[in-house]
Amino acid sequence: MSRSILLVEDNSDDEALTLRALRKNNILNEVAVVRDGAEAIRHLFPDDRADVTPPGLILLDLKLPKVDGLEVLRRIRADEQTRFIPVVVLTSSKEQEDILGSYHGGANAYVRKPVKFADFSDAVSTLGMFWLLLNEPPPDSNWPSFEG
Amino acid sequence: MSGRYQSNEPGTGEPQAATSPGQASTLPGDRPDCVRQGTVPDVRLPGQHGGVTVGRRPLEDSEADGGMPRLALLSAIVNSSDDAIIGKTVDGVITSWNPAAERMYGYPAEEVAGQPVTVLCPPDRVGEIREILDTIRRGERVVHRETVRRRKDGTAFPVSVTVSPIYDEGGQLIGASSIARDITEQQQARAAAALRRRADDLERANRNLETFTYSVAHDLRTPLRALAGYSAVLAEDYGDALGEDGRGYAERIQAASSQMSALIDDLLRLSRVSRAEMHLQTVDLGAEVTRIAAELQRDDPDRRVRFAIQRPVQARADRALIRCVLEDLAGNAWKFTSGRDDALIEFGTTAAEDADVCCFVRDNGAGFDPAYAGKLFQPFQRLHTTREFPGTGIGLATVRQIVQRHGGRAWAEGAVGEGATFYFTLKAGEIA
Repeated sequence: MSRSILLVEDNSDDEALTLRALRKNNILNEVAVVRDGAEAIRHLFPDDRADVTPPGLILLDLKLPKVDGLEVLRRIRADEQTRFIPVVVLTSSKEQEDILGSYHGGANAYVRKPVKFADFSDAVSTLGMFWLLLNEPPPDSNWPSFEG
Repeated sequence: MSGRYQSNEPGTGEPQAATSPGQASTLPGDRPDCVRQGTVPDVRLPGQHGGVTVGRRPLEDSEADGGMPRLALLSAIVNSSDDAIIGKTVDGVITSWNPAAERMYGYPAEEVAGQPVTVLCPPDRVGEIREILDTIRRGERVVHRETVRRRKDGTAFPVSVTVSPIYDEGGQLIGASSIARDITEQQQARAAAALRRRADDLERANRNLETFTYSVAHDLRTPLRALAGYSAVLAEDYGDALGEDGRGYAERIQAASSQMSALIDDLLRLSRVSRAEMHLQTVDLGAEVTRIAAELQRDDPDRRVRFAIQRPVQARADRALIRCVLEDLAGNAWKFTSGRDDALIEFGTTAAEDADVCCFVRDNGAGFDPAYAGKLFQPFQRLHTTREFPGTGIGLATVRQIVQRHGGRAWAEGAVGEGATFYFTLKAGEIA
């Protein structure tokens, strides 16, 4: 079963262009789209968690309505079930605080969305290829905790 | 506080008569003569009208407080005060004067005796003295009024004054006591606090502006991506239907989006260099220019450009910020010499009257009309079209901003077709 992508993106244009870039680059994994931070948290941590298969990759925008991306990231890293999911911060910002904050929060990568579409398309395709195909994911269930 | 006492330490066991020299004195012409040898003022605070009542008792009744005569004790208290304590008649004639008053105002007791209190007041505040005396005559006090008084040498200083009416045993108003405290230090502290508040406000305003810049820049990029993205999609998916002209327009939308994206990036950079924390150290600017020259050549290997770089050029600067300046200036020189086969870019120093180090970056490129030299450093001002030379017009504004943050200045000289020279000044670095 191929792993799914969770795209956390509030802008519908960025959403459409990202989905197109994935499709055009033959990354045909299932993509779930959530449009604000609160929805992202509900999606990842529903009341009945038995049904949920965690995504194989999370593409996370930082500037989001309701709950911002860094808080979503914090929740992801604080939970046993989601702590090892690769999270790529995909944002407009190149501010040092955002970059540092993302790495402090445990982001696996930080990519600034290029304005030029060819570059944007390349970036999305590269991320999909690397994290879903090339990168070896953590074992599926009951990831052991190495703390303590 | 006690360090400022110069005389008359109380409790040294030496009884001090009210009339001894340099002490709180009963002055000739006192009216009424409430302090007199052989009697002791019985001072109660507050009096029946919120003032001071002075009574008389035999001396022997008042031996209290370790056997010290009451008069001497009260006198010692007044003498040791750091506040100027002055007695005056209801008409404002000075009748007593403690050592602190002498220190504060600069008049010795004998000189000021019998003088009107208005001598202690700047001419423009004489009306205030009248007003205070009116208050006293009504039997009311003036409490902690902040005003200005004048020393013997004419200098003014801020004081806090409390003036109370003095009554005799019969309840008759016989004068006033005035206690003045020099509040120069408090005022300075208050001014410093106000200044700190202003600085805090300014910093807050700056932070708000930064947040605003950041947010605008971030939010502007998002629709730009849509413009660039959809026009690319149009050309890709509907290229045949668009035809050659249509594809050309789609390309123009993409080019314009890229240009605006560059503008936003440069604006953000300008905002960043304006607020970046500075770490000053001695930097060899010549070495930095050498590195930058190598990078320029690497990124554009087909160009043939000769560099003449003076080394070392030591200056005191923030390395990252001054590197931005040198990158912008060298990058400009590189760009504006693109039409020349014999391109030459020089970096060196020259003499300047107002600075330790005056650097220049000179090229033999397109140059500019000196009539517009002043405009060059303003954001968005360009003297060339983007077709001739690409750019956003923010680089030199960034240069000036950084140089000014280093306490220097930046300016340019040039002529059309004869190249340009950009100067900036810095403080000297330590000689290695």
